[in-house]
Amino acid sequence: MTTSPLRVPHRIVIVGFGMVGVRLADELARRDTGGALDVTVLGAEPYEPYNRVLLSDVVAGRTDVAAIAMPLPDDARTTVRREVAAVAVDRVARVVLADDGTRHPYDHLVLATGSAARVPAIPGLDDAATGPASGVRMPAGVHALRTLDDAREIVAATVNTPRAVVVGGGVLGVEAAHGLASRGLDVTLVHPGPAPMERQLAPEAGAVLTHGLEATGVTVRTGARPSEVLVVGGRAVGVRLDGDVREPGEVLGAGLVVLACGTVPETALARAAGLPVERGVVVGPDLACPTDPRVYAVGDCAQPPEGSRGLVAEGWDQARRLAEHLVSLAAAPLPAAPPEQRVPRREHLRLPGDGGPSMAVRLGTLLSSRAPSARGVDARGTDVVKVKAGDLSVVSMGVAGAGAGTAPGQRAVRLADPAAGRFVEAVVADGVLVGATCVGDARVAADLVAAYTRRTPAPVDPAFLLLTPVMPSAAPATSPEQMPDDATVCRCNGVTKHDIAECVADGAATADDVAEKTRATTGCGSCREAVCGLVDWLDRSRRSDDTSAVEVAAPR
Amino acid sequence: MTAASGVRTHCSYCALQCGMSLAPSGPGIPGPGGRAALPVAVAPRDFPTNRGGLCQKGWTSATVLRAGDRLTTPLVRGDDGELAPSSWDEALDLVAARVAAIQAEDGAGGVAVFGGGGLTNEKAYALGKFARTVLRTPFIDYNGRFCMASAAAAGNRAFGVDRGMPFPVTDLDGAQAIVLLGSNVAETMPPFVQHLAGARAAGGLVVVDPRRSATARLTDDGPDGEAGLHVQPVPGTDLVVLLALLHVVLAEGLADREYLDARTSGVDDVARSVAAWWPERAETVCGVPAAELRRVARLLADASPSRGGRGAYLLTGRGVEQSTQGTATVTAAINLALALGLVGREGSGYGCLTGQGNGQGGREHGQKSDQLPGYRKIDDPAARAHVAGVWGVDPDSLPGPGLPAVALLRSLATPGGPRALLVHGSNVLVSAPDADRVRERLEALDLLVVCDVVPSETALLADVVLPVTQWAEESGTMTNLEGRVIRRRKATEAPGEARSELWILAELARRLAPAGLPADAFPTDPAVVFDELALASAGGPADYSGLSHARLDADEDAAGPGLYWPCPATPPELSDPARGIRRAEPDNSHPGTPRMFLDAFATPDGRARMVAVDHAGPSDDVRADAPLYLVTGRVLQHYQSGAQTHRVPELEALVPESYVELHPLLGTRVGVPDGAAARLTTARGTAVATARWTDAVRPDTVFMPFHWSGAGSVNRLTTDAVDPVSSMPEFKVCAVSVEPFAPADLSDPARGSHRAGSDASLDQEVPA
Repeated sequence: MTTSPLRVPHRIVIVGFGMVGVRLADELARRDTGGALDVTVLGAEPYEPYNRVLLSDVVAGRTDVAAIAMPLPDDARTTVRREVAAVAVDRVARVVLADDGTRHPYDHLVLATGSAARVPAIPGLDDAATGPASGVRMPAGVHALRTLDDAREIVAATVNTPRAVVVGGGVLGVEAAHGLASRGLDVTLVHPGPAPMERQLAPEAGAVLTHGLEATGVTVRTGARPSEVLVVGGRAVGVRLDGDVREPGEVLGAGLVVLACGTVPETALARAAGLPVERGVVVGPDLACPTDPRVYAVGDCAQPPEGSRGLVAEGWDQARRLAEHLVSLAAAPLPAAPPEQRVPRREHLRLPGDGGPSMAVRLGTLLSSRAPSARGVDARGTDVVKVKAGDLSVVSMGVAGAGAGTAPGQRAVRLADPAAGRFVEAVVADGVLVGATCVGDARVAADLVAAYTRRTPAPVDPAFLLLTPVMPSAAPATSPEQMPDDATVCRCNGVTKHDIAECVADGAATADDVAEKTRATTGCGSCREAVCGLVDWLDRSRRSDDTSAVEVAAPR
Repeated sequence: MTAASGVRTHCSYCALQCGMSLAPSGPGIPGPGGRAALPVAVAPRDFPTNRGGLCQKGWTSATVLRAGDRLTTPLVRGDDGELAPSSWDEALDLVAARVAAIQAEDGAGGVAVFGGGGLTNEKAYALGKFARTVLRTPFIDYNGRFCMASAAAAGNRAFGVDRGMPFPVTDLDGAQAIVLLGSNVAETMPPFVQHLAGARAAGGLVVVDPRRSATARLTDDGPDGEAGLHVQPVPGTDLVVLLALLHVVLAEGLADREYLDARTSGVDDVARSVAAWWPERAETVCGVPAAELRRVARLLADASPSRGGRGAYLLTGRGVEQSTQGTATVTAAINLALALGLVGREGSGYGCLTGQGNGQGGREHGQKSDQLPGYRKIDDPAARAHVAGVWGVDPDSLPGPGLPAVALLRSLATPGGPRALLVHGSNVLVSAPDADRVRERLEALDLLVVCDVVPSETALLADVVLPVTQWAEESGTMTNLEGRVIRRRKATEAPGEARSELWILAELARRLAPAGLPADAFPTDPAVVFDELALASAGGPADYSGLSHARLDADEDAAGPGLYWPCPATPPELSDPARGIRRAEPDNSHPGTPRMFLDAFATPDGRARMVAVDHAGPSDDVRADAPLYLVTGRVLQHYQSGAQTHRVPELEALVPESYVELHPLLGTRVGVPDGAAARLTTARGTAVATARWTDAVRPDTVFMPFHWSGAGSVNRLTTDAVDPVSSMPEFKVCAVSVEPFAPADLSDPARGSHRAGSDASLDQEVPA
């Protein structure tokens, strides 16, 4: 016990049992070895926690649904109320009221309510579009891809319909379109912008992605947007297009419409509680609400100063930071010092300026200082966007997208190879990689991510970043003529071609003779063939009238 | 010289324990280069592990018998500060008197013992017994803590017992797929490569290593031309690779569900934990493309018996184990093997490739701080009672658990820590991490006694150096990487006055003569020591009670299949010390256990335990002032700290000095040309080494071998942060900066070094 047994546990209520809420509960349980915390999680969904990021893999048939279940918080340490939704927060009494009538008092409240799919306000979706999709009925055959139910229903629909339209060409739309195409559906990706993923990709990179998608069977319709979902008898039968259309009123017939039009933070609870809400719940660098330091928000529902990209890596990093903070609050004598000095020194955690080892974190090896500052946190490591689309490799990180690398001090190099389906761009500043885009080269992409997240020294000429710096291993020259004189033939016994040539010059005629003198082949034996070939060649050369070959191999 | 005419024994180096014959060489056979004649001639011998192969170290092993500076008399440091020859009586009397004096002042814990994984089973056993019954100190540990502890901890946790390879090495021959994680067998145990041939031919060899090592190059193509796969993760992220592989196996429905249900526990927690490691996320951490991770997972699954494959193995080495998450990484490898239904099935499995010659036996007989013979736990009352019964002492007189190696070394000559240290079969000054700090601690001791065959770097710091026999000069047993107990046989006499450690321990015991210890407690005949060891091990996880030198000899004479522990005495009651039976007289009918876990695991419920683990990254990760990864490893020509191999001219000629491998892109960036001297600096210290440019390393990583002391000693750079479960240090990865080295730097000791004075020894040891 690190805390006095007389101390009353700190009550923490987490609203939301999604990927970030669960992670926070887990991070708290890991750190709170002394039992100083009393943690309650309220979750509206009936399910065990699952990995929402993998829903597109479920749609693509790349993963068993059972395999996306996430770790459950430790029962003994954490109270989880499933199918219990928070309906109000009384910030004066510091109590959360739930829809089952229960009351949950807190010392600290964490909102992890996530976000809902955005539904465009077009005919056919009118009813649904009045608010976030949660709980609102859409026509049969139309689905967002936000929940396990969505994924299951989409998978079920693929059995009955040959054609699908995916609305929205962001990361999720690209993954969904690719996944449905890999199931054999005739898929059209409808995207109002000039190319898919334009938030992450420069136009040239987007064009390469478009070609890559088309090669897997996805029809990409850029510059077009849906103007209506056609519904017959309560079922979607097609989507009418607007914008760049082939004919006025063009209709794409489809029994399955997947909406990937972005998300809307779930902020109703915060708004009703009188907390500042803009796009999301406004929080400071320490993830606390500016008007109530006992309330925090993390994940998709939060709006931190550095902005939110909706990536799980960000939410998990926030969960880790907040857990450290809350545990230190519970451990610290009250009144507490300012947050920066309250973070406990852990062996693996690097604080700014202490020069010790950094906790490289399960997520993105966050090597930057993770301490909050006035302008927010350095997001490096949490802002890598990697599309899950099988062999179609698309990665973007840091300074990327249209016009990347034009800021003073930055240097951008790019490799555009559309015919081979490849586009690579690297942006370097102060000798390290500060951003990159890579489409169509998985190996280079992996290397760029490693260099970016760890800030390892970039090559003097950043153009080397555009290709894999580890050459495909040159197969050792096996023909005796081509082998350099000092090439090691037998590794186990350190015998070179030169040694063997000397042996043969001294009269050795077989591999066994060479073994007797040099021990070549007597280790693992895998060089036997090479030694035999070498001896034969040297022996032939020696016997032949033309002695030039022997001179090549003769002792230096 | 044919094999049949010599003494059958095994190589002096690694855990593969290649069979060799030692024939007495007549005076007519001079040593290489006109040096002193060697007493024996080495010839390879057909043995299952090496099949008649020997690497260069093995071929030249006899040279060490007549090393030019071989220790032949005891040495005692005189008033002039120099080591000078002395008689055995003088040296032993001195050690006994100083030990007694220190213990009189500080208690039993004033004296510590440091053992080695190269000692025979008999010596390891006697050393542990000596510490517990004569010194009665809790402070004993050994250098196996640097190499085997994480795999041992993970194996014990998962299977209930730790035997590196729970199957004969020849079982690998038939496998369709073998995944080697952090193991460079092509350099560390070259004849082992023969056992990879089958997997290579099937295109099923996968090598996970941040460096394209000689072993990784074996994946370029197999004997029949089909390529395997070299997976090249960012240093310190092997665990992520394994978590992602298990993710794919579960996500794609490739697991052996029937096996998981019948033979394991804990799969649900593990499955949930890897749900967070989908390949694309893993890629962003480990730098291995998601598609490659999927390919490896499928390759392994295709080779697994449940999916109709010919068998698959996962094998781990020091590369993944010498890490602050080494136990977790081995656990993840075991989890993957269990998910595929590989463990406890003939033709498939998980194994750890033990490194040191007796790295397996050395960890079973009581050299570990928390352990008693038979792989028993020292805090288990039943284990204490059993072993105390065999030893004829009061169980309450046995000390409790001590400190693991790194903590033990750190504690030396600190307030409350030991002031005297006895070192056996280890060169800690070179082999332990954060070498500058180790030197400080050793120099601060009141008494350092080192038993060795040559004046190692550690021996040169000692107050008393005792010359001991080695390998061809002694009899005993070793337990190789397969858990096979093999005979080491004497082929020649030791030079000068070198004596066996068994004799030294007996002499010290006689002088210290603690009350309550039987007078004959330290026999010097290895066969007698073995019988006692066997009795002490009876009923323990590593049960040797059905074995004896005679039985091992008879099995070998009859070309038997070899004897693997556990090999309990039959009937077992013959080895019950509580009933006063001091010598096992079993009928020796138990055949030993070549393959473990075929029916059940050694856990209470008989199931293998799967344990969820997660990635935290290296303790000393890259940052602005140390932006590169330093990884360490070995070269074929040298062994461990090089105490033996630096004394073999043929080996020394090929790799005479330390070096650092770096990628040409990095070399250009940091201004260190190929062949130039590079200065490497970490938070602990500085080293200087010659740069070798190669694209075999990642551009964010440099590699140094660890066989040298002095300026080129990589362990001046490594961190002594340890794994929280196994206490094994993180040798394999730390953050480093690399810059050109100019000799002028020497005049400014502050530059590049975080520790004043640590450059003092650079003056004489700068590479030419």
